[in-house]
Amino acid sequence: MKGLNIPETEKSPRIFFDPVNSIFEMQGNSRPENVRDFYFPIIYKVRKYFEKIISKKQVEKFNENYFKFNFKLDYFNSSSAKFIADLLLLIKDFNDEGLNMKIYWYFIDGDEDMKEVGEDFSDMISFPFNYIMVEKY
Amino acid sequence: MKSYDVVVNHKGFVDLDIIDDMLHHLKIYLAQKESDKILRKRVYGLSVECLDNILKHSDLLEEEHELIINFPPRFIIEKIAENYLIHTGNIILNENKLDVVFRLEELNNLGAEEVNDLYKRSLANAEISAKGGAGLGLIVMAKTTREKIRYDFEKINEKFSYFAMQLNLKK
Repeated sequence: MKGLNIPETEKSPRIFFDPVNSIFEMQGNSRPENVRDFYFPIIYKVRKYFEKIISKKQVEKFNENYFKFNFKLDYFNSSSAKFIADLLLLIKDFNDEGLNMKIYWYFIDGDEDMKEVGEDFSDMISFPFNYIMVEKY
Repeated sequence: MKSYDVVVNHKGFVDLDIIDDMLHHLKIYLAQKESDKILRKRVYGLSVECLDNILKHSDLLEEEHELIINFPPRFIIEKIAENYLIHTGNIILNENKLDVVFRLEELNNLGAEEVNDLYKRSLANAEISAKGGAGLGLIVMAKTTREKIRYDFEKINEKFSYFAMQLNLKK
């Protein structure tokens, strides 16, 4: 399956989905004009990919090399938060089905609010995040 | 004497381009004049939520053009000493007033932890409306300010009221 490489704009994050190297990354700001049109195809594609892995009984594919999700967000509005939550729930559900997933939640040094947002999400989906503080994305 | 600054003062029609322009200028102001990075992001985040809310109600204005003159959408940010006051105003259908009052009163009666719990529950259960909203905006405002949201309604006619809201963001 082909991945995704959607460039970052002032209003929407960069989306990088690379099934070959087992990596998904979201970076930047998120307040797209039509939040549903932006996120729906992304979530659909990610869901289809993991459903295929499960239907082909390739769950062990990620046993040694887990699928890595990097979230490097600067700002997102509440409508985007809903879709980010949907994506995170999807990750947790597939992890529960036996796929080895890891979530890395980045935040800029001093941006404790963004770390707290990650903690809220982690709490909400009952799935541990790895928090990484950086100087810049 | 406390310092005072009017950061944004908009009264009039609002669309996506006007919002982008306001947010662009706000970003420049905050980068130049607000040294506290957390406060900077909170002011920006609250502004996006407020403007999203105003925009979602703006489709009413097309059918009631003459109302805009006397009851224009309003978005004002004042900086008083180290704190920010955000004022918003927009026309609202009277039939939606009770729902807004219920949601604001619910938020105003919760403590910070309870607002946080409500946010997490709402995030999990939110549905995106036809206008693209997740219904989380007011909760995010309460969560960010950790202050009671002040509000008022002025009846315009049998169909519409003017809804004014004030957010107090303390350093």
